[in-house]
Amino acid sequence: MILKTVNLSKRFGHRWAVADLNLEVESGQIFGFLGPNGAGKSTTIRMLLGLIRPTRGTYEFFGQPAHQSGVDAYRKIGALVEKPDFYLYLSARRNLQMLGELSGGVNHQRINEVLEIVNLRDRIDDKVRNYSHGMRQRLGIAQAILHDPELIILDEPTTGLDPMGIKEIRELIASLANDFSKTIFLSSHLLHEVEQVCSHMAIIDNGQLVVQGAVHDLLRTTDFFVTEIVVDDPVKARAVLTDDSRVRDITLTDNSLKVHAATESRPGIIESLVENGLKISAVIPRTSLEDYYLSLVQHSDGH
Amino acid sequence: MGLILKATRLELIKIFSRWRTYIGFATIMVLVPVIMGLVRKYGFGIEHEAIRSLGNTFQYVGSLANGLLISYYLMNVLWVHFPFFIVLVAGDIMAGEGAAGTYRLWLTRPIGRLQVVSSKFLATFIYTLIIVLFLGICCVGLGMLIVGGGDLFVFDKGILILSQGDALQRFLLAYLIAAWVQMTVAALAFMFSAWTSNAVGPIIGTYAVIAVSLILVMIDISALDKIRPYLFVSYFDVFFMPFSDPIPWGDIGANLFKLTIFIAVFFGISAASFLRKDICS
Repeated sequence: MILKTVNLSKRFGHRWAVADLNLEVESGQIFGFLGPNGAGKSTTIRMLLGLIRPTRGTYEFFGQPAHQSGVDAYRKIGALVEKPDFYLYLSARRNLQMLGELSGGVNHQRINEVLEIVNLRDRIDDKVRNYSHGMRQRLGIAQAILHDPELIILDEPTTGLDPMGIKEIRELIASLANDFSKTIFLSSHLLHEVEQVCSHMAIIDNGQLVVQGAVHDLLRTTDFFVTEIVVDDPVKARAVLTDDSRVRDITLTDNSLKVHAATESRPGIIESLVENGLKISAVIPRTSLEDYYLSLVQHSDGH
Repeated sequence: MGLILKATRLELIKIFSRWRTYIGFATIMVLVPVIMGLVRKYGFGIEHEAIRSLGNTFQYVGSLANGLLISYYLMNVLWVHFPFFIVLVAGDIMAGEGAAGTYRLWLTRPIGRLQVVSSKFLATFIYTLIIVLFLGICCVGLGMLIVGGGDLFVFDKGILILSQGDALQRFLLAYLIAAWVQMTVAALAFMFSAWTSNAVGPIIGTYAVIAVSLILVMIDISALDKIRPYLFVSYFDVFFMPFSDPIPWGDIGANLFKLTIFIAVFFGISAASFLRKDICS
């Protein structure tokens, strides 16, 4: 077990930001840590990294309780917490040299190597002040992998990036896991991002764990699916299905319906549409992490 | 210990990579030669006042004003003005990291918080020592170069005449003591800096404490004698003691010891505060 938390909790004033959180991350996983803004993701990560003190509960890295390993555990951990803040008046090279020294010493070759990985090699001697947000984000990942850690904790690494920047970071994360065998703990509220790169995930809401497991398994075991039905008259189709007890919800788009219903209901629903004279040109299973996530988060909110 | 020294070196790199660090050095580099040049051209003046106060019991020929005498008078900037250059760095060294969000980078490395705060404190001390000695070297060196050397006449409970060699040794001692005095100021600013994420607050806070303390020390009300021992500015004048004869080693030691207690308390509070601090920014 690379990372484990046991009843990890943090209270700010009277509000529990994180309550009795139990997470388990195994070696080699890309673990997505999902939740809406304010759910407690950053607070959890800050506790794991020793930036804030848990009110109660414990956590362990590499099978050793944090209070035993102390800061030594961070020799095998790299982290990027929210937006990467560097010493703006120093160059990327100088920033990495300093951080490398604190991590036990990193040679010039390694600094060049990580800057190559994040595609910043040609800007190595520029002051960070002159970097774009995307470049700083990539430099943030560079500092996280600088000392060749086993576990990389990334907190919202794509915040503020444009679509191209998001794609680059996503590919970088996948590469770190696949090509460099790193375990990644990725906090995000961008579901598409997590769905594309993560093997496992946990969802928290209001500081509490809602679910955790393998992404594929969780989506497969869900009790309902979203089916997109492309139909000649979506408005009429909605009217047909509105009172159908098998249908939980319907979303209307330009030329299709998104029907939330159990998988086994799908043939009956289509039959019902056909019987009402509607012409169906496509039936597409659309269950996404987003649907799954929203159902869980809304449920936990009591909606 | 090795990691603290390594981190201290990195802190010094950070300190000396920022332009604000050089404000003090630049000011000294500009002001001291200007003052010395003006004295050389237009004279000092203050020695006439001092001699006049002795009436007819003292007669001298020539000029008492030389680079050493002016340097001696310039040491008065160490009371109120010079501390600005100290708090400019000491007030920012902790708060600046909080404001910039860079604690996250450091504290997620294998280095403990006590080591971080200690290295910052050590770096502050080294900066303080360097800038105080720089002031001393500029004042004495440029004073001798521009105005000229000679014996130092110290007007304190009469006249003490120190040979140039003796005076230079005493200046060295005085500036080393002054560095320790300024370290007390730095430690206070450091403590305020550990409490906040805004570098302006520690600067204002430190100056407020110095100003209020100086008022309490200088107002001639005997009732205030009760609180003066607890004000660190009460021991500020220790850097003038090396110019007494004989040098009051006992008083110097006692005052430095008291200042050391203040430094230790300020550092202790800073460390305790930082160890418990949640890094939320």
